[in-house]
Amino acid sequence: MISRTGSIAKYFFIDLFGSVVYFPAWWYTVGFWGVLRYFGQALSYRWTSYRFHIWLKNFFVPMYGQEDWSGRLVSVFMRFFVLLGRLIAYAIEAAIYFLFIIFWLLAPPLCLIFFLQSLYRGIV
Amino acid sequence: MASSTIPEFTLCPACQGDPRTSINCSACRGAGVGVSSPDGYLVWTAAADHFSFGFRKLRLKVNAILHLFLAIIVVACFGLFFFGVARANAFLVLATRDYWSAHTWESGFLWLGFFLLCFLLFRLRVYSERVKPLPTWGKSKRDLARLAEKTVSDPHHAKEISPHFQEAAWGLVERAYALAEKVGRIEVEPVHLFAAALTSSAGGIFMTRLGMDFEKIKEGLVSLLRRAPAGSPTFLSLAAKKVLLQSYLQAREERRKTVGATQIFLQSLLAEPVLQETLDAGGYPIKHVSQVMEWIRIQEQLQEEHSRFVALAALKPNTAMNRAMTAQQTVLLNRYSEDLTLLARNGYIGPVIGREKEMEELLRAIESGRRSVILVGQPGSGKSALIEALARRMVEEDVPQELFDRRLVSVHLPQLVAVGESGMAAQQLLAMLHEVGMSGNIILVLSGIEALTGESGGGPMDLAETLASELDKGYFIMIGTTTPQAWTTYLERRSLGSKLVRVNVPDMEPDEAIRVLMAKSGYIEYQNHVFFSYAALEKAVQLAARYLTDGHLPESALEIAKEAAVLARKERGEQTFVTAEDMARIVHEKTNIPVESVTQDESEKLLNLEARLHERVIGQQDAVVAVSSAMRRARAGVREGKRPIANFLFMGPTGVGKTELAKALAAEYFGSEKAMIRLDMSEYQDHTSVARVIGIPGDERGGLLTEAVRKNPFTIVLLDELEKAHPDILTLFLQVMDDGRLTDGVGRTVDFTNVVLIATSNAGTQFIQDQVAAGTLLEQIKTTLLERELKGIFRPEFLNRFDGIIVFKPLTLDDVTQIAWLMIGSLAKGLEDREGITFRAEDAAVEELAKAGFDPLFGARPLRRKIQERVDNALADLLLRKEVARRDIIVLEPGGHLRVEKATTKI
Repeated sequence: MISRTGSIAKYFFIDLFGSVVYFPAWWYTVGFWGVLRYFGQALSYRWTSYRFHIWLKNFFVPMYGQEDWSGRLVSVFMRFFVLLGRLIAYAIEAAIYFLFIIFWLLAPPLCLIFFLQSLYRGIV
Repeated sequence: MASSTIPEFTLCPACQGDPRTSINCSACRGAGVGVSSPDGYLVWTAAADHFSFGFRKLRLKVNAILHLFLAIIVVACFGLFFFGVARANAFLVLATRDYWSAHTWESGFLWLGFFLLCFLLFRLRVYSERVKPLPTWGKSKRDLARLAEKTVSDPHHAKEISPHFQEAAWGLVERAYALAEKVGRIEVEPVHLFAAALTSSAGGIFMTRLGMDFEKIKEGLVSLLRRAPAGSPTFLSLAAKKVLLQSYLQAREERRKTVGATQIFLQSLLAEPVLQETLDAGGYPIKHVSQVMEWIRIQEQLQEEHSRFVALAALKPNTAMNRAMTAQQTVLLNRYSEDLTLLARNGYIGPVIGREKEMEELLRAIESGRRSVILVGQPGSGKSALIEALARRMVEEDVPQELFDRRLVSVHLPQLVAVGESGMAAQQLLAMLHEVGMSGNIILVLSGIEALTGESGGGPMDLAETLASELDKGYFIMIGTTTPQAWTTYLERRSLGSKLVRVNVPDMEPDEAIRVLMAKSGYIEYQNHVFFSYAALEKAVQLAARYLTDGHLPESALEIAKEAAVLARKERGEQTFVTAEDMARIVHEKTNIPVESVTQDESEKLLNLEARLHERVIGQQDAVVAVSSAMRRARAGVREGKRPIANFLFMGPTGVGKTELAKALAAEYFGSEKAMIRLDMSEYQDHTSVARVIGIPGDERGGLLTEAVRKNPFTIVLLDELEKAHPDILTLFLQVMDDGRLTDGVGRTVDFTNVVLIATSNAGTQFIQDQVAAGTLLEQIKTTLLERELKGIFRPEFLNRFDGIIVFKPLTLDDVTQIAWLMIGSLAKGLEDREGITFRAEDAAVEELAKAGFDPLFGARPLRRKIQERVDNALADLLLRKEVARRDIIVLEPGGHLRVEKATTKI
């Protein structure tokens, strides 16, 4: 077991001060992976709920059992537009996630640089 | 039940797991002991002492303060930015490039705010102490199987388990430490963990469920707490570390998210046989304790599974339409049905426990070739629950491809056949099936499918053939339910039966029924604001299985539990306990069988039963003792459960008290002299009379005897003059006496285990009288009677089934005199009650009556006639002549003379 002094030292030097050093390392490794996984799961859930494969498999199967030619025609159009709509919605969601990932990657250095520039301008 | 198998622990070769040495052991870093697992080589290295517990809390507090401070700075930065912009009135230029390239001081605060926000996010994720989920949490069965393939046993790949322990579990370890230190022990042992667990919320629930009175185990527990060697400082013992490791393994096996106090509680108990003995001595056997732990586990697991179900249910369409939208509207079907998947999706169908084997069979039958299935089981055995479980699995889409994206629709068959005319009903059925076929996403459920046969095998409403021919076309899948009797009678040999795959749903075993009750108890408790103890649930199942033989587990036990909850709430208010006694009272009310604990009054009544019976039955000591003993055995629960309470054959001449004893027992113990089923066997002399006793097939009214016992299972069955019954009837009773049950004409099994069967017979009367007159001992008379006299009348195996064959000896003059007094007493009581007239008799008059009425051949019967002739007639004349008024006294004098003593008026 870790000694008492060791515990206190660990807390101060690793947990408190060390966190400043660990922050960028975590941000671009564990944290980044966590964000990717979270968005991946969200997109996977959406993909499941939109059921693209079922709609594609039944693309030419008439909706509501309307077997006549007009029913089939309307169905195909409907299915096309619904699929298209869902695909667009899915793409928008994916794009938002993508933007957030970009933000995740760029935010800390850019914020720091801009802050330092402002600070420098203020001092000068 | 959680696994109680002991894993193979490995001690550190350097310190040998000694808690004092291991604390500074560089080889194991304080672990001392470890265990191989697929998650890694599991160890507990976290220190357990005041400093560590205090430091852990302090660290959490400092981190929380730091995070709050950071959050305030972030907010302040954003605030200063908006303040700067507002002061410079720069809102309009915010969107310009010039503004941002100017790097003003307020924009500096904004960037600093964002940067610190990122840092705060990082700190919150990494440093705020959150319980880490177990590596097995949320993994699919396939992933778990893959994980289980490799076990890490290398101590260099040690995995610290303490981060997976909930705050409650940490609190428990801390309290155990404080307790061990308080009682001056050098090591924290499993018993300290157990004692600390009793004060946790899991421990509170545990004690409540077990109905535990802490005082009962307090003394034993305190001595156990002081068992370990005294000294200080206190360390976590090797055994305690093993308990923590096993708690982790248990949580892992149960696929729990984290390790809680519940697991430590059970493992600490399992680790200490002495603790188990202490609880056992307090009246809490380990089986009950384990079952209560299982109960807590089931409820926690159901809660966790509920959130998973809700997440998956959101993906299921909430309309009748399938995901591909190829289904059709089913207007007619909707009129006669309900959508079970929709009900389950919207939370109207609760989780189902058990029946895994039957579910596998059901799914296999469907998967093996889109075959329709029939579930065959008794009412209440869980056929509907199985279908509800299927509906829930269909919502989760945890089903074979054949059931994927489908609806489970249950048709109300009684409504369908209620149209009255078979042609119209068939048309409706075909139209509905057409809708099902066109829609293509419906699995039909037909509960009580025998309704389609008109329940008469080809009657006017027979739709079975129609359904069978449609099933042949194979355009839909159907799941039907029926009872074993209906299956045999109406379906098995017909074409519909041959097209269905039979899946049996047998009666539930009591242990599994208890688990069902555990799962369902939460809802009943919530509805009634009461709590069940484990003993109550166990009692409900035991009593339902034993006494409610018309019902079937688990439903019969559930019904008892529901009613007992209402009873407890009404009598003792909310937040009260439902006990085993409440369950027993409900069963008593339903069956009239006294199943509660014997009260003081009842106990006295039973112990004095002989004396009370002798108030009506004169002499016949053997018979009275035999009957009384049988009743005491039955009430104390020390009899064999599968036979009637007692089977007696009373032999002897007429008028000696055979029937009177049965009546006296009925009056004393069953509430009324009429509380018995009396069959005069002279009315059952030909073989057709069997039908009168047990009923005829197809006639729901049942037989005279079977129906009477079904309605009132706790009673006396008196078979008068048994020797006159047809041999087939005797064969029926052979089964009753042997198995305690009889199957009636309809196929229902009627329980006879709570009846007292008394048969009387006059066979061998002459022999008995001759032998008694010759002074032969009763025991010898009985032996000769069985060996010689009764041989031609009853088969030996029939006589063998009786618990007692009791020979009633002929009455003596002395006996008849006592009976005369009893009769006069009864006459006097009637007169007093009706007319307010006192009646008494002089000794000489009663003796005279007894002598006149004494006849060794006919017992006490002639006496009754004599009393009628000499007393009743004269009394009637007196009353009609109005020679006697209220409060007068009539005295019977020798010679049958009645003297009237007029009442003196006193004011």
